[in-house]
Amino acid sequence: MASITKAPKGSSGTARANAGPAGGPGHRPPARTRPRPPLRRIAVPWLFLAPVLALFGVFKFWPTIWGMYLSFFEVRPYLGNRWTGWDNFTAAFHDDLLRSALWHTVIDAGATVVASALLGFGLALLLEGPARHVRLLRTAAFLPVVTAMVAVAELWSTLLFPGEYGSLNSLLGHLGLGPMPFLSDPDSSLASVMLVQVWKSAPYDMVIFVAGLAGIDRQLYEAAALDGAGAWQRLRHVTIPALSPVTTIVLTLGLIRGLRVFTEIYVLTGGGPAGSTESIVTYVYKEGIQNNDLGTASAVSTVLFLVTVLLTCLTLWWRNRKEAA
Amino acid sequence: MGDHGRLGRAQRTAAVAAALATALLGSAACGDDSGGGGRASGPLKVWVRGADDSATAYRKVFAGFTARTGVKVDLFMTLTDFETKLNAAAAAHDLPDVVINDAAQLGAMKKQGIITEVDKSSITGRDKVGAVAWKSVQDIEGRTYGVPFSAQANVLLVRTDWLKKVGMPAPKTWDDLENVARAFTTRDPDGNGKNDTYGLAVPGSTQRGYIAWNWSSFLFEAGGDFLKPTGSGAYTSAVASPEAVEAADFYKGLFCEDKAVQPGALNHVTNDSNKAFQTGVAGMYLTGPYAYAVSDATEVKGKYTAVAPPAGPQGGAALAEGTSIYSMAGSKRAADFKKFAEYMISAKAQTTGMTGVKAATIVRLPVNQDVDTASTRAGDPRWKVAQQVYDDNAHYEPVNVPDWQAYRTAAAEALNKLVSGCGDSKKALSALDGRFRELLGKQGIAG
Repeated sequence: MASITKAPKGSSGTARANAGPAGGPGHRPPARTRPRPPLRRIAVPWLFLAPVLALFGVFKFWPTIWGMYLSFFEVRPYLGNRWTGWDNFTAAFHDDLLRSALWHTVIDAGATVVASALLGFGLALLLEGPARHVRLLRTAAFLPVVTAMVAVAELWSTLLFPGEYGSLNSLLGHLGLGPMPFLSDPDSSLASVMLVQVWKSAPYDMVIFVAGLAGIDRQLYEAAALDGAGAWQRLRHVTIPALSPVTTIVLTLGLIRGLRVFTEIYVLTGGGPAGSTESIVTYVYKEGIQNNDLGTASAVSTVLFLVTVLLTCLTLWWRNRKEAA
Repeated sequence: MGDHGRLGRAQRTAAVAAALATALLGSAACGDDSGGGGRASGPLKVWVRGADDSATAYRKVFAGFTARTGVKVDLFMTLTDFETKLNAAAAAHDLPDVVINDAAQLGAMKKQGIITEVDKSSITGRDKVGAVAWKSVQDIEGRTYGVPFSAQANVLLVRTDWLKKVGMPAPKTWDDLENVARAFTTRDPDGNGKNDTYGLAVPGSTQRGYIAWNWSSFLFEAGGDFLKPTGSGAYTSAVASPEAVEAADFYKGLFCEDKAVQPGALNHVTNDSNKAFQTGVAGMYLTGPYAYAVSDATEVKGKYTAVAPPAGPQGGAALAEGTSIYSMAGSKRAADFKKFAEYMISAKAQTTGMTGVKAATIVRLPVNQDVDTASTRAGDPRWKVAQQVYDDNAHYEPVNVPDWQAYRTAAAEALNKLVSGCGDSKKALSALDGRFRELLGKQGIAG
C-alpha cells in the first residue's frame, strides 16, 4: 500500500518498488562500452536487499517453484509423491466445475476491474485537492480498503439478507421493489459478489488516480482554458491522456486481484449456490484442502500463475509500445 | 511484476542466483530431519482437532490417564488448519503419536498411510464398546484402524413455544415434518405480525459437503444409501436408487414448494444455520446433540425440545458420526497407545469427557456401554433422546472408503444445484451416480 500512496508520478513508483534497486533511472546499468563499475558498487544494493530477498525466497519464490513441481505428482506427504505427468492438468480441465469457475472468474475480473476503475476515477475527480474537508472525505472513502475483507463480507451478507426483512430489501421495499434474492439465487449471486468487490476496490483505485491527478502539470489546464476548452474538453484531452500510465497500473493491479479473487466469495457464498460463484481459487481451495488433492490444486494454481504472468507482460508490452509511439 | 524487461543481464543473473540460493538454504533448513518420526520416551504427543473449551476438557481426561499410568501427555489442538498441519508433519515424517479426529477421516488418513492398524483383540475393555462404534473404525476390508472415543446421531430440535402457537405436536413422520414446517412458515408462530419465520434451518452450502451431510438422514430414512458394499472391499454407487430419488424429492419440496427453509440457506454453513435456529428465524433444526450446549447459551434456551428425526418411508434412521483415536505411523509408543486407548474407552474417561467441562462435551454419547447417558447428564431428557436415536437408528456414512470427503463434496454440489434450480431429482442423482462411479474407479474399489 505504501508504495501506491507515495507514488505521485503515476506508474514509476509501483514498478520501481517491485523491480528492485535497479529500476530507477539513476541506477541504470551503464552501457556496455563503458568500463565495468567496481564489484562493490554492484554488490552493495544487493546486500541491502538480501534480508527481504531471503524472506521472499523462503515464503514466495520457493513455494511457487515447489507448487509448480507438485503439479506433476499425486501428492502423498507421508508415503512419498507419485509422478503422474500431465494427469492433474488433464483431469482438472475435464472438470465442468473448473470450466465454469474459469468463466465466472473472467466475468468477475473483467467487470469489477472496469467498474472499480470508473468509479475510482469519478471519486478521484470529486475528491482531489489539498483542502482539509476533502482529505477527510477521502479518508472516509478509503476506509473499505483498509477494513478486513472477512469482516466486510460478514457485514455485507447481513445487509444482503434475501428475506423481506433484510436491510437492503427493506429499503427496496419502501421503493416498492424486491425482495431481491441477492446471494441466494444462482442468477443474481455473481452480480451481488461483484458489487461487494467494487465497493471494496474502487477507493483503492481512487487513491492511485488522485496521485496521478496531482502529478498533471497545471499549466496544461491553464493553456487549454486559454484556448477556450471547457471542463469536458479539458477532462477529455488533458486529464485522461495524462492519466494513461496510471490507468495501466490500476487495470493491471485490478486484473491480478480479480483473477485470484477468493476471500469475498469464500465468506459470502462459498462458491454457491449451485456453483454459480465458484472462482478458480475457491476451486483450488476445495480440491486441495477439502478433497485432499493437492496435486490437482497445484496444477490449477500453476496455470493461473502462468496466465497472470502472461497477461501482466502483455499489458506492460502494450503500455511500452504506446509510450514509444 | 514490474518492468523486468529493463533489467540488465547481470542483475537478472544475480536475482536468479539469489532466489536459488535462498531456496536451497530454505530447503536445507527444512530438510535435515532425521526422518525417524516419534520418540521412544517422554510425553505422548497427542493432536486433537478441536477448539476453545475442548482443550480444557481433554486436559481433564488426560490428567486421569497420567495419574493412572504415569505417562504424560503433550496436547496440541487446532480446528481450522488441522489437516494442513498434519500434512506438514507427515511430509517431515514427524507425526504425533496419537491423533483424535472425526471418524469420517479414517479413509483419507489410511490412504495417506499416516495411521496404523490397531490390534483390537489386545485392547482390554474392547467388549464394553458396541459393535456399531467399532464398525466406524474399520477400513473397507474390515481391519481396525482406530479406537472409537465418542459417538453421536443427529436429532431434530423443535421450538416448543412455536408448536404451542400453531397447535401441533412435534413431528414424527415426513408428512408431519412438512406440515409443521409449513405452519411455522405461514402462521406467524412468533406472533410479531411479520411474515419472517421459517420451518427448517438448513446448512445448505457445498463447503465441506454440508448439504449432503444434512440430507443424509433423509436418504437413510427413505432406505437409500450413498454407496453399497459388494463384498471383498469393493463398492458400487447406490445414489441413483428410487429410494434416493424419493429422499431428494422430499428435501427439494421443503425448499421449492413449501419455501419452508430459511432464506439464503444454500450458502449457509453450520454457523449460519445455528444462528437461524437460535435467533428465531427457523423453528426446526436437524443437527447433532452438541447443539444443546451451544443453543442453551442463547435466547432459545428452554424454548425447544429434541426429538428423533421424523421417520421416512422405510422407518427411522439418523446420520451417525463419531470421534476416534488413531495410532500414527512412525510412532515408537505402541505400548503407551494401547494404555491410552484402554483408558480413553474406560467408564471414568468417558464420564469425564461428558461432564468435565459444561460448554465442551467432547464425549457426546459414550462408546462404553456401562456408562448411562441420562444419569451422567443429570437426567437431561434431550440426551436420553440422543442416546435412543443412536441405539435404535444410527447409520454411518461410508466413511471407510478412501477419501469419503470427495464423495460428500460431489453429493453436496449435486444437491445444492438440484435444490437451487428446483430441477429434476432423478436426472441430478444419475449425474451424481456417474461421478461416484468415476471416483470409485479412480480409487480402485469399484465393484
